[in-house]
Amino acid sequence: MNVVNLRNPLSRIAVAAALVGSLVVSTLPASAAGDPGVSDSEIVLGMQLPQTGAASPGYNKVDDAMRAYFDYVNSKGGVYGRSIRLEVKDDQYKAGLTITSASSLINQSKVFAFVGSVGTQTHISIIKDINRRGIPDLFVNSGYSGFYTDAKKYPTSFAGLGTYVVESKILGKYLKETYPDKKIGIIYQSDDFGRNAMQGFATSGLTFETGKTSASFIAGTQGSLGLTNQIVQMKANGVDVVIIAAVASATAVAMATAAAAAYKPSKWVVISVGSDATTFQTILGAKGVPAANSAAMLAGTISASHAPAPGDATDEYVAAFKKINTDFNKGPDPRWDNNTLQGMNIAYQTVEALLGAGKNLTRKSLIAYLENSGSKMSSAAFSPLNYSKTNHEAYNGFWIGQYDATTLLAPITGTRVVYTTDSGTGPVTVSNYKRPAIAADALPKVA
Amino acid sequence: MKKLISSVGVAALILSGSSFVATSAHAADPVCVTANGAETCNGTLDNGAAYKTVVPTNFNGTFFFWQHGFRSSYPYPGYTPPKGVEELTPYSNNTGKDVTKDMLTTGYGLAAYDCSSTGLHGWNTADCVEMLKNLITVTKAKYKVAHTVVYGSSMAGSILTPFIEKYPTLADSVGIMAGVTPPLTNELRAGCDMFYIFSVFFDPTIKGCAVMGTKGIPGHYAVLGDFAKVGALLTAWSKNLGAPELEYPAALKGSGIPQRSALLLAGLIAGLPTKSAHMDGISTSALIPEQSINATVAILENTQELLGTAYFAGQSISELVGPGIYDNTKTDYSALLSDADAGRFNLGLSGDNAIAAMLGVLAASPRVTGDPGAIAKAAALDKSSFNTTKPVVLLSNEADRLVLAGNSQLLVNKMQANFDTRLAAWQAKYDVADLSHQLALNKVKPVWNVLAMYALTPETYTKFDATTGAPLLTKDSLSPSGVGHQSFTQNQTMSWVKILAQSAKTGKLPSQKYIDVYLSRDKNFNTDPDFQPNELKYQS
Repeated sequence: MNVVNLRNPLSRIAVAAALVGSLVVSTLPASAAGDPGVSDSEIVLGMQLPQTGAASPGYNKVDDAMRAYFDYVNSKGGVYGRSIRLEVKDDQYKAGLTITSASSLINQSKVFAFVGSVGTQTHISIIKDINRRGIPDLFVNSGYSGFYTDAKKYPTSFAGLGTYVVESKILGKYLKETYPDKKIGIIYQSDDFGRNAMQGFATSGLTFETGKTSASFIAGTQGSLGLTNQIVQMKANGVDVVIIAAVASATAVAMATAAAAAYKPSKWVVISVGSDATTFQTILGAKGVPAANSAAMLAGTISASHAPAPGDATDEYVAAFKKINTDFNKGPDPRWDNNTLQGMNIAYQTVEALLGAGKNLTRKSLIAYLENSGSKMSSAAFSPLNYSKTNHEAYNGFWIGQYDATTLLAPITGTRVVYTTDSGTGPVTVSNYKRPAIAADALPKVA
Repeated sequence: MKKLISSVGVAALILSGSSFVATSAHAADPVCVTANGAETCNGTLDNGAAYKTVVPTNFNGTFFFWQHGFRSSYPYPGYTPPKGVEELTPYSNNTGKDVTKDMLTTGYGLAAYDCSSTGLHGWNTADCVEMLKNLITVTKAKYKVAHTVVYGSSMAGSILTPFIEKYPTLADSVGIMAGVTPPLTNELRAGCDMFYIFSVFFDPTIKGCAVMGTKGIPGHYAVLGDFAKVGALLTAWSKNLGAPELEYPAALKGSGIPQRSALLLAGLIAGLPTKSAHMDGISTSALIPEQSINATVAILENTQELLGTAYFAGQSISELVGPGIYDNTKTDYSALLSDADAGRFNLGLSGDNAIAAMLGVLAASPRVTGDPGAIAKAAALDKSSFNTTKPVVLLSNEADRLVLAGNSQLLVNKMQANFDTRLAAWQAKYDVADLSHQLALNKVKPVWNVLAMYALTPETYTKFDATTGAPLLTKDSLSPSGVGHQSFTQNQTMSWVKILAQSAKTGKLPSQKYIDVYLSRDKNFNTDPDFQPNELKYQS
C-alpha cells in the first residue's frame, strides 16, 4: 500500500531521495497508455494453474508464493507507484477450463499480462489465442521447447523454466558418462513434455527400446494406467538406471508402483519438474506412506535444477525469498520448497521486467524490454534468461544433484557445476555464468 | 398498398436477361386474410414455389425476408420434404419456438418462401437468389416498405452472400444465422474427410462422398444405404461410448486403441466442436472419467447431425455438378490435427503413440480421387466476392455442430480484407486531396459494417446420472446456449433482429453502445470484442 502523499512535491522528492538506487519508487506514473490492466495505481496480472485436482499437488503453491512477493513489492510502494494484483484461476489441469478461465481473465479481470501459468497440455490450448491478442505471456511454467524456440510463432510467450530438451541433454550426457555399463531406461508421459525429454536424451546419445527399456503412460492419467506391466518388463530386462520424465504426481506413482513390484533399480533419475520433495511426500502421504519412508524412497535420486535447492540455506536468493515467503505468504500451505522458490523467482523477474519496461507501461514495451534486455535480467537461476528477438527460452543451464536422506537436493559431486546447452544439437558445456547478487532489499534493480 | 407485380412484369424480368429458372408456373395474386391484427397472404412465386407474408396493423415500414436452410428433396426416416412455407421467422431447433409473435408485436413485416425449384429442394442456391429477389419484388409491390432486411439460416449464407452482391439495392441489411460462408465446399470437404476416416477405421465398405452423384431417387437411396452404415456405428457407440478396440485397419487390430480415440481424431481433424448439446468437454463422472472422454462423447453427439446433413447436402450438390466432388489425394491429415488439440486431447486420443499410429495409417491408406471439374463447379455454386458495403450481422453458436462457427470468422476475415483495401484506396485519395475535397471525402469514408455475434455455452453444463455416471441426454440437461444448429434463445434471436432492423434504417451498424444493450439481454452472448471461434479446417 502506498501511504505517501504523492500530490505533495516535497513528499515526492523525499521519497526519491530515500530510494536512490532503487527503481521500485513511488513516483506518479505516466498515465496509462491504454492497454487493459494498467492504471495509474495498479497492474493486474493473470495466472492459471491447477489449484485442485490430481495434478495440483505442489504446483498449487506457486501462485501463493508469487502473490507473497508481489505483496512485498507493494508494501515497498509497488512498481513506479503501481501496485501489482495477481488474479488466479484454477483450471484443475483441464484444458477446457483453461480456455474459459483465460477468457474470464482477459474479459472480466482485464489482465495486463499472464504470468507464471502452469502446465504444458493446458497452456497449449490457449497460447495461440493469447499471442493473437498481443497479451504478454510471461514466465510460463512449462519447459516445452515448442512454446519458445520460435519467437515468430508465439511472440508474446516467454519461458519460466529451462526447456525439457536442455535439461535432458545435460542429464543424458551425465548418465551416459557416469553409467556406461548400466542399462538405462525411461518412464515418460506421452505428450509434448515426454516427447521433448526423449528428444533431449536422444541428442545426448541415450536411446531406449519400447517394451524393454522404455515405458510410457498417457499424460493426464498421472501414471495410473498401464504402468505396472511396463515397469515389470523393465525389471525383467535388467534396467538398472530409470529416468522419469513426468509430472510430480506421476513420479510418486511410478516409484510406488516399482516398489510394489519389488523393483529396485540402482538409480532413479527424475526431470526437475517431477522431483519436488514436498510434492512427492505429500502425494505418497495421501496414499498412507509415512514421511520417513517416502524420504527414503527419494534418497539417492538424481535430478537437475536451474536454481538453488530450496534447502540450501547458504544461498542468498533462497534466504531472501524464504524470509519474504515467511512474512507474506498467506496461502494454505506456505511451506518452503521448490514450488515456492519458483513462484518467488518468477514474481521477482516479473517486477524486474515491469521496471525495465518503464513508467509508460504497455504490452509492447514489456515485450520489447524482455527481448532486448531480458538476457541481462537477474534471478535466482544459475544461468541467464535466454531471451532475444528470435528465441524466448529461459534458463539454458542446469546443475545435477542427488537427494539426500533429508530430501535436500545437493550437488552430486559435492560442488555445484552448472552445465549449459541449447534446445537443438549444440554441445553440453560447463557454464561460466556468474549470477548477479540479490540486493539487500530483495528488489530487482534495472539500469 | 401497391399491386402485385403483373405477369407482364414477370415476363419482362425473364426477357431482361435474368438467370431466373424457366418454369411452367406463374405468380398469381396471393390469397390474403386479415385476422388477429395482421394481414396474412399466401401466394406463389413465378416458379410456383409458395411464399407467405404477414404484415401487422402496426407495421413500421421494416420488412424482414426469411431465407430458410437446406431441405433435402427426398424423404428419409423422420423427414418429409416441405410442401410450402414451413418457417416464417427464425425457429430454434432447441426450443421449438420461432419469433413470429415478437417480430409482429414490434411492427415488422414478415415474409418467407419455400425455396424449391420444379418441386425439388436441395442445394439450389442459385435459384434461391432469384426466388428471393422475386419475393422482395412482389412484396414491395404490395406494401410500402421503407427498410428491407434479408436474413436467413444455415444454407442461407450461400444464398444471401451472393444475393446482396448481385442485388445491392434490394436490401438494406443482411442477417446470417448459423450460416455457411461461401464456398460451401470448405465445410463439405471436412464432412467428406470424416466419412473417409470412418471408412479407414470403422467400416471399409463406407463410401462417403464417393457414393454421391447419381441423380434422383436412385442416388438418394445409394446415399441412404451408406448413411445406414454410419448410423449403425453411431448407434453402437451411443451404447458403448466407443470403448471397443479398433477392428480396422488390420495394422491397428490388437493395438489396444479404442474406437472412441479414432472417432475423436476424426472429429478433431474435421474441426467439430468438442462441446455438444449435453457434453461440455470438461465435466467428469465415474463413467466419463476424464475431460477428453467428455469431449469424445461430445464429438459423438455432434457427429450424428453433421454426417446426416453432409450426406444429403453433399448428394444434392453432387446431383448439380456431377459425381466426384471429393478428392483427398493430397490431404495431409497430420497437418489437420493441431498441436493444441493433440496436446489437450492427448488422453482421449490414447496418447502420442496412438496418435502417431492412427495418423500413420491415414497417411498410408488409399485415397479418394475426385473429378476436378465437379469440384470446381461445386465451389462456384455460391461464388461471392465479399465486397458488399451493406451492414451484415452474423449470429452463431460457439459449438454449432453443423455449420461450424468458424464460418462466421471466415466471412469476417474475407470482408475485412476487402474493407482494408477500400479504406487504403480512400486514404490514398484523402492524403492528396485539398481541404474542400477532404471534406467531401469524409462523407464517403468506408465504414466497417460487419458484426459477428456469438452465443456461448456456460462453462460447464453436463449432468450425470448419480448412480451410473452416464451423461443425461434429456431436454432438461441441454446447454441453455451456444450449442446446436439454428438454436438460439428468444432473447438472442430478437437481439439479432433488432440490430438488423436498426442497421437497415441507417445503412450502418448501430453504435457499440446500442449493440451492448442487446448483448446484455442474454448472459451467454459473447461480449469479448476479440473473440474468435475455432477456425475452419479448410478456408478457400
